[in-house]
Amino acid sequence: MIVVPRKDKVVKSILKTLLVCAAVFALAGFLAAQTTSPQTFPVFNPPPCDFNDTFYNVNGIDVNKLDQPAAGRFGIFRKQGPPSPDGGNNWTNDSTCSINNPDTTDVRILATTAGYPDDGSKTHTDFISLIAFVLDQSFFLQNFTLAEGDNTVTIANGLNPRGFSMQSIAGNFEAYAALKQILPGGTFAPTPCGTMGNGTTPCFPVTSVATPQLRQDWRFASNRNAIDGSSGGASTPFGYFCDDILGMWILTYFWYTDAGFGPHQTTQCNQMLAALASINGISLDGTPIIKTADELNFLEGSKVGTNPIPGFSGSSPPKPGCTAEGQEDVGGADQGAVWVICPTILDPQNGAIAPDAFLDAVRKPNGSFLDPGFQKQFNCLQTTGQFCPPTT
Amino acid sequence: MTSRESRTNRRDFIRLATAAAAFGPFFLFPDRALASQQTLKIAKWTHFVPEFDPWFESAAKEWGKQHDSKVIVDHIPVEQISARAAAEVKAGKGHDVFIFPWPPAEYQEHVIDHSEIYQTVAFKYGNVHRLGHRSTFNPKIRKYFAFCDSWMPAPLHYFADYWGEVGMALGPLHYNSLRSGGKRLRDKLGVPCGLALAPTLEGNITTHTLLYGFGGGVLGADGNLMIDTARTTEALKYVKLLYQDSGTPEQLTWGPAGNVRAMLARKSSCTINAISLLRVAEKQDPELAKKIMIQPPLIGFSGVFGLPHVTNCSVVWNFAQNQEAAKQIVADLVDNSKTAYEKSKGCNFPTHQKTVPDLVVRLQNDPQATPPWKYNALKDALHWTANIGYPGFSDPVTMEVFNSFIIQRMFLSVAKGERSPEDAGDTATAEVKRIADKWKHAGGENGPS
Repeated sequence: MIVVPRKDKVVKSILKTLLVCAAVFALAGFLAAQTTSPQTFPVFNPPPCDFNDTFYNVNGIDVNKLDQPAAGRFGIFRKQGPPSPDGGNNWTNDSTCSINNPDTTDVRILATTAGYPDDGSKTHTDFISLIAFVLDQSFFLQNFTLAEGDNTVTIANGLNPRGFSMQSIAGNFEAYAALKQILPGGTFAPTPCGTMGNGTTPCFPVTSVATPQLRQDWRFASNRNAIDGSSGGASTPFGYFCDDILGMWILTYFWYTDAGFGPHQTTQCNQMLAALASINGISLDGTPIIKTADELNFLEGSKVGTNPIPGFSGSSPPKPGCTAEGQEDVGGADQGAVWVICPTILDPQNGAIAPDAFLDAVRKPNGSFLDPGFQKQFNCLQTTGQFCPPTT
Repeated sequence: MTSRESRTNRRDFIRLATAAAAFGPFFLFPDRALASQQTLKIAKWTHFVPEFDPWFESAAKEWGKQHDSKVIVDHIPVEQISARAAAEVKAGKGHDVFIFPWPPAEYQEHVIDHSEIYQTVAFKYGNVHRLGHRSTFNPKIRKYFAFCDSWMPAPLHYFADYWGEVGMALGPLHYNSLRSGGKRLRDKLGVPCGLALAPTLEGNITTHTLLYGFGGGVLGADGNLMIDTARTTEALKYVKLLYQDSGTPEQLTWGPAGNVRAMLARKSSCTINAISLLRVAEKQDPELAKKIMIQPPLIGFSGVFGLPHVTNCSVVWNFAQNQEAAKQIVADLVDNSKTAYEKSKGCNFPTHQKTVPDLVVRLQNDPQATPPWKYNALKDALHWTANIGYPGFSDPVTMEVFNSFIIQRMFLSVAKGERSPEDAGDTATAEVKRIADKWKHAGGENGPS
């Protein structure tokens, strides 16, 4: 038997639907207005927020570890202070976060950390949210089960339902951190303290990657994937935006060696560094800024297919190397970050850079940005919702 | 019945005589019958899993029965493979099929072009994968100098309980942690890190892996020297420190499978090896096997990077007496890849993935392993394993360097303190250059540019 609704009931139903829709749009507008001042461009990319505890757990991260002070998780710790340069907030509460993305908490990230992409372009287009630091292997969950409706998500023996561990996924994506090597007294330290170093002094500390500790801006391998071969070398079986959905990185620290800079600098390194500085500028230490993988690999003594430094063939790298790189002890012996949770903003256009977000990039002593290109791009994104036109 | 009926008449006699003439000699002269049967001689490296070789031999002989051939399989210890192959080439005679555990590129002039075998197999199972192709093809002369049917990944094996004592229960992950954690582990438990550095296949694979892991190599993709860079020096410095901080003098003198025996005796905390190590442990001491975990190779300069412990390469000599049968058995044995995988206890990964289509499922739930997902760490092995000779192909120079143990000796001399990293690098560079020049001048197009 077919029940034909009475006409007035149908009308009432339509009206009810319209009212609900209007209410939803009004609420959405209200919530959007809470987090952003009026933006004159299409806004459809929500700004970044911290993931919720469940999302961390189902992706293999122990939230109890993450909520320790040393991990510095946004939403609990580091509300003020670095990276905020002026005592402002690094994050704020925002009820739209979990509406836009149910996998997040209502903690919206204001500190927008800048970096060079690892594609060799030297562009100022990577922006990330440095949410928390992962200090040792105990942060990786071995077992977790979430029953939700008819579905169960299980982390068993450290492996996600696809059979991968978070540690192995994150190990494919490197964030390159450049810590200051000029110590407070003005001495150049050619080696890191801790397990990455050669045990000599002076050494530079590796316990913090907060922006004031950096000599230059980051470089992120967010472009890596196996499909187009961008991973280079032996293929990366994972894609950053496909598999690394927490946006985790393993930190690769890179530094200038004894031969590269300081009193024992070799003539070869001296010439190469001068040439690199002429195109990339210099860091807070007075060393050249390194923006690409080829530049770093070449200075480390590896033959590369390009000629990354003007006047020098890529097939004739320095020997000994002018730079070196390494990762911290995964057992936590270095007391610094081995991994970081800092997802790259997939598309920083059209609202992802909120009006109240601020740029977190390396600054000179006078407060200006070391690489003004990041500021320019950030401002374009924040005010127009688009990257700057290529000509500007 | 009359007596006449029982007699043989003339016609019957002729008939019998004709039949005897036609069939008789085979029964009367069995030696002559065998002489007409072709003989196929196969030389094969002795597999690490003892159960594999008897199966292989029976499979080969069964093939012989079906093809009216007598198949002889000689098992040769890995450490004698090079000498035996060289002797056969020098003599211009020997086995019809010679199966190497590495790409035998230096014999490219003495073998047939194996393209035909690859084509035959491709009709059934598709193309060989990248690792197999780059291990057996010389793009300069456009010749497949061998046929690769399987390979063995070489993951890092480690005792989870030992490494858990220094906060690394999930394994050391990268080279720095191997050294720093290995030092703490030896200091705390007295157990050294057991990478093989002696002149064995394990030592050769380990030291090549280290060299590549630090961004070094023998030749570049352009065929020019790559060993002469600072990356080689860095790899050598690392091994010196690794040995000082967490090593043992025994690792400098281990014989074949010495690293495996040390692990089985719980005398080392980790090593690089094929999973035959774990398979032996599972059979001999299941409780010990439970404690051994594997992980992909350590993260280094070039990310996660490893080399195959074994690249199973068959060649048909161009002086083989029985080339057609040799080609056929090499192609036909691919039909047995699934059984080969099983008989090798999961060591022999196929180069034609359709032959073991459920490989990943098997790795995820292995009946012998505890926990059963232990071998899951190998499911990306094809991504992180490159051919010997990377970033180029496995060419004659690279393989002669490999079989001359130049890289292994370079590392060993530094670990022993006989040479500085710089001196050892320079010495090895000179040796590699000599080999490269030799191939360039003697081989013309056969050598690298």
